[in-house]
Amino acid sequence: MLFIGLQFVVWSVSGAYMVIMDIDYIHGDSLVTNEKQNIVPEQVKYSFTDLLTRYPQAENIELGLLLTKPVYRFDLKKQKRMVSAGDGQQLPKINIAMAIKLAKHHYANRQVEISKAQLITEKPPRELSARYLPVWRIDFDDFSSPSFYISVNSGQLVTKRHSFWRIFDWMFAFHVMDYIDEEADNRLLLIASTLALLASIFGLVLTYFRLAPKYNKKQNHQLNKPNKAGC
Amino acid sequence: MREAKKKTTLPFKLSTIKLLHKWLSLLVFIQLFIWLGSGLFFNLMDHSKARGNQHRQSIVPVAIDAQRLSDINTSLSITSEPLKEVSLVQRLGHPYYLITHDKGLYRHFKSHFSLVDAYSGVIKIIDNEMAAALAKESYSGSAEISHLKKVEPPIEDFLKEKNILWQVDFDDELNTSVYINASSGRLVGHSNDDKRFADFFFMLHFMDYPLTGNASVGGFNNWQIIFFALLTVVFCLTGLIWTLELLIKGRYKIK
Repeated sequence: MLFIGLQFVVWSVSGAYMVIMDIDYIHGDSLVTNEKQNIVPEQVKYSFTDLLTRYPQAENIELGLLLTKPVYRFDLKKQKRMVSAGDGQQLPKINIAMAIKLAKHHYANRQVEISKAQLITEKPPRELSARYLPVWRIDFDDFSSPSFYISVNSGQLVTKRHSFWRIFDWMFAFHVMDYIDEEADNRLLLIASTLALLASIFGLVLTYFRLAPKYNKKQNHQLNKPNKAGC
Repeated sequence: MREAKKKTTLPFKLSTIKLLHKWLSLLVFIQLFIWLGSGLFFNLMDHSKARGNQHRQSIVPVAIDAQRLSDINTSLSITSEPLKEVSLVQRLGHPYYLITHDKGLYRHFKSHFSLVDAYSGVIKIIDNEMAAALAKESYSGSAEISHLKKVEPPIEDFLKEKNILWQVDFDDELNTSVYINASSGRLVGHSNDDKRFADFFFMLHFMDYPLTGNASVGGFNNWQIIFFALLTVVFCLTGLIWTLELLIKGRYKIK
């Protein structure tokens, strides 16, 4: 118990945090407005045919909106590109002003202020997958310090994070005892959970002897003095 | 004497802690064993098997003839529903415009699509024949299809899915089922007995029990786990305090 007791507390506290906090809230779903505007077909003057003739290698072509303007997004040699659906012009990479505009556009609270905007091109923070790089990180000055990550190439909101997600992430790492990859198949966890299972079996045996009426009666007859463990 | 002095400095009585610990042990022990046992299972299980993708293969896209594509605006005028996104997708080696009328935050959230043949401009409804072909396209095994049906949420193999799917069952040793979104034709995923076995342990670990009138939901934010988690926190803390007391009193000795 001496060795495993602390991990029991870690498991129960981290587990309790994860089950009490609503997972949709943790994902930051309440931070975004999901009222998307509609595409106006008349604004689409550049067709899929035009695009494919110009970029025959284009894959995963998608016609969507950038704020209010229709744009095509597609992959070209593993890189995201963006082209205006009005005239077929290739659109520039998202700059800081546009990134802030886009982040605010997706954010639920319209009156929010931005506390920081940062371009990340390599070594993503723990909370961001490297496949989204390069991105703009936009931090909001709001409850639970939310951050939105806006893709530089596509202008899309790729990840949303806030303090409770960050705590949840650590809780999960502590829960599976893996502080690097957060995978549940590490040896430390194997040793700890085997020991914990053994300790619990011993604990159950103790519970039986302490609480079983038959045994208690016998114990009361045998000893009238306080027992060694002090209870 | 020393012990009596220490007791007065603690904000709680050690005897209360011990009593609480003993009775809580009776309340939580079954679920505690389930947690530890299923936790150990997750540690030891074959993670690639648990994904249910033994017989899944990726689909190779074919070249699209740009000149044959029907005019996008004509295709869009087919439907009067709201227009959020249009993507050029392939189904069975044929190009389609996938028109998104309504899209949830994530793929498994409620969405609404139309599929339009990108060459002819005609709306394509995914019937059982096409569903079977789409499932076979993603299936690398040699077994035949045994059942095919349209299923509505809740779907046992994908509890979080909120859309109508085609379920295509294959007659293989793992009882593979392939799920296709009924309006977009997108492959939602494969499931098989290995994945179902792992899912059963997740159900136990998350206390996602199908209780009276409530089916499992595939999540861990339910009242019974919150209740037991709080009890377990108290159980573990009282246990730790007890252990520390024994440690201070010198009960742990290496002989």
